[in-house]
Amino acid sequence: MILIQILNALQFSMTLFLLAVGLTIIFGLMKIVNLAHGSLYMVGAYIGLSIFNYTESFWLALIFAPVLTALIGAILYSLLFKHIQNADPMKQVLLTFGLIYIGLDSVRLLWGTMSHSISAPNLLSNSLLVLNEPYPSYRLFVILVGFVVMFTLYFVLEKTKIGAKVRASVDDPETAQLLQINTDKILFYTFALGCGLAGLAGITVAPILGVEPGMDMEVLVLTLIVVVLGGPGSLKGAIIGSLLIGFVDSFGKVYIPQLAQIIIYAVMALTLLFKPDGLYKR
Amino acid sequence: MSLSLNNINKTFGSVKVLNNVSINSIKKECLGIIGPNGAGKSTLFKVISGNLKQDTGDIFFNDSNINNLNIEKRARLGISQSFQKNSLFSEMTVKESLMLALSHKYKITFNILHSLLDNKTINIDAKTIAKDTGLLDYLDIKSDNLAYGLQRQLELGIAIACNPKLLLLDEPTAGMSPAETKGIIILIKNLSIKYSIIIVEHDMDVIYELADRIYVLDRGSLIFEGDAKSVKESKLVQKIYLGI
Amino acid sequence: MRAANYNPKLRLQLMIILLLLALISNIFGSYFTRFFIAEITILSIFAMSLDFIASRGGMISLGHAMFLGIGAYASAILTINYGISPFSSTLYTFLVGAIIGIIIGYFIVLLDGIFFIMVTLALGEMFNAWVFTSDYLGGSDGISGILRPNFLILGIDMNNPLIFSFYTILWLLGIYFILTKITDSPLGRNLDAIRQNKDRISAIGGYTKAYKTIAFALSAGVASIAGSLYVQLNGFISPELTHWTVSGEGLIMIIVGGIGSISGAILGATVVHIIQHELSNIINWWMLVIGFGFIFIVLFMKDGLWGLLEQIQKRLR
Repeated sequence: MILIQILNALQFSMTLFLLAVGLTIIFGLMKIVNLAHGSLYMVGAYIGLSIFNYTESFWLALIFAPVLTALIGAILYSLLFKHIQNADPMKQVLLTFGLIYIGLDSVRLLWGTMSHSISAPNLLSNSLLVLNEPYPSYRLFVILVGFVVMFTLYFVLEKTKIGAKVRASVDDPETAQLLQINTDKILFYTFALGCGLAGLAGITVAPILGVEPGMDMEVLVLTLIVVVLGGPGSLKGAIIGSLLIGFVDSFGKVYIPQLAQIIIYAVMALTLLFKPDGLYKR
Repeated sequence: MSLSLNNINKTFGSVKVLNNVSINSIKKECLGIIGPNGAGKSTLFKVISGNLKQDTGDIFFNDSNINNLNIEKRARLGISQSFQKNSLFSEMTVKESLMLALSHKYKITFNILHSLLDNKTINIDAKTIAKDTGLLDYLDIKSDNLAYGLQRQLELGIAIACNPKLLLLDEPTAGMSPAETKGIIILIKNLSIKYSIIIVEHDMDVIYELADRIYVLDRGSLIFEGDAKSVKESKLVQKIYLGI
Repeated sequence: MRAANYNPKLRLQLMIILLLLALISNIFGSYFTRFFIAEITILSIFAMSLDFIASRGGMISLGHAMFLGIGAYASAILTINYGISPFSSTLYTFLVGAIIGIIIGYFIVLLDGIFFIMVTLALGEMFNAWVFTSDYLGGSDGISGILRPNFLILGIDMNNPLIFSFYTILWLLGIYFILTKITDSPLGRNLDAIRQNKDRISAIGGYTKAYKTIAFALSAGVASIAGSLYVQLNGFISPELTHWTVSGEGLIMIIVGGIGSISGAILGATVVHIIQHELSNIINWWMLVIGFGFIFIVLFMKDGLWGLLEQIQKRLR
């Protein structure tokens, strides 16, 4: 029984991770929080829904929804974020807030206000035995996706030249520019990647939670908390943070529903008091 | 007022920026701290003001240990600083900025009932400070709209508005033209009549004109102490500035 | 973070104009108009609470609907469960809001602006979730049967929409007066200075955390008053009041009005509420329009409508 809870928590943590990592790297690089990140998650899920409805293939949706979401991110960057890079950070955050409204109504206009669902592909519609307990294989798949992304990102960031350039741009943008690291290109691709990851989170979670307007904000808050806890720009922080919050939230909801919220509050409050830059400042 | 720094050490990464630095001041005087680039002047300044905490060593101000006091608390004890890079209230006029700083001197900052700008005493005091810092003609100009030299003067004005027991000046002539520098020197000379001052400076001539006593730093260590004449004549000081 | 120029004269002029408009519409308007005016007045109080911490302390809160909720629910509980008079309950909710504001403020006021937004958003959402699931607070059904203050002894019938509308306007005036006094005071000026350069205020010995916590607590208390009046206007509360879109609407109001002038917040509240009301009658996708309008103002009209008025005033000289 407890194994099931652990796996559920792990699956939720992976979804949070996919969202948090995009948001935190964008925050670290561009010093702004994209409050519309949840909107991109939602848009990813809806695009996946349309692809699924049109092609009847979950796999096509899984591949193309994140790509299209990344494309939307790229367009947003080129049209809007690139030009306000040097403005007051508060101004930039306010802009992303305006985008939430646009995102929400766009989704409602294009897809209506009802909730929809996507069914998991046949390959993953059964249960696998984990330590003699049956567990939905689709959820295991989501966990797998999360780990794959985690390790890929870790590898790229820590072991490749491109990763080093990204880390340099986060830690010390001025020096990075002096070293001829093309920060603008890095910002562009990283922003698009972050948006793509949000879209990936949306489509992978769709068979479990469904697709509906309003899913943008539900997940945004916990994602923000993960970013606050983990520290802006920190991959490690995003990993630890999403595991921490994912587990506290999942277990909390099952065993102590009323207190779960308060515990998360308390964790956040204590972190802010003692380590205002997050657990793992980059 | 008395200030003493005993064996201050500070390391950044693998660089020892301050090495057993000790400084003493037991009366009202104008103390200068000079040294070539990277000598640790800035770091020493920040350790005194509270912007940085030393690794080992003690700081005593008026006989109490202030090691663990942050900037706000040190300011309330009477240590006031002016910054190398102008730190002004961009939207406020000269008069408003000075009156704002004075609200701290008169300890009325928690008052919510009366208008600050209507306060007669503070109004008069602000004009006095403006006079002392050469800003009397610019009272109603916004800080952002002042010429750079005047902004430096306002930077000083805000620092002295708090009625400090010790005034810390971080490169007060930074970025100034020779004419502006001459003006500031006269200003600070007048201030040194009223206040105890510690100046960190790059410009040696400024220090020679203003300081009663000078400490010379080189690569984190104190290598010389004396008045302007002995510093000028010291072969040791000349060597560290000209290189070997 | 920038805010409107300190301009007490224009602030007062704008306030008088808005007041006259409110009074005239109230006296000559229909039942519905009066209800609408009361709504705008209450939202203006909410907007002023947001404007106060934004311009005095540089804190932009995306979770302030939580205090609307605290004011509303506290008011309801005090009157229904404890038999306290509605008028007194509004006063008490100020205290409740302010005290909770001090507790929360202690943890968050020194956070950098962006972190502050994120944390207040998170807190607001959590409060919203809690309120929806709490049986004591009526869950998703909310609480109904809330009465307005009883001044029949004075011959005043608060159930008359005209009278209640005037009542809310009186509260608005009182709060406006107090907030402007605080803005002009040493504390207010120091808060303004903190927004412009908090490091310098620390360097001159200011109690930055204390000032900001007081500002946040005041703001929380004022927002709670708005919540209390709101619940008396409608006679019931639903937990929708604490939804993030309400906090968001407040933010839009102060940006549209122009941060920093207090009467600008009232102007913003009026304009935004009217536009939203009219738009939602015509089209389904009014959020889209508001989103674009908001982005436009953030990009091109730094001081919102207040900025526009200042320009007009300059031209007229």
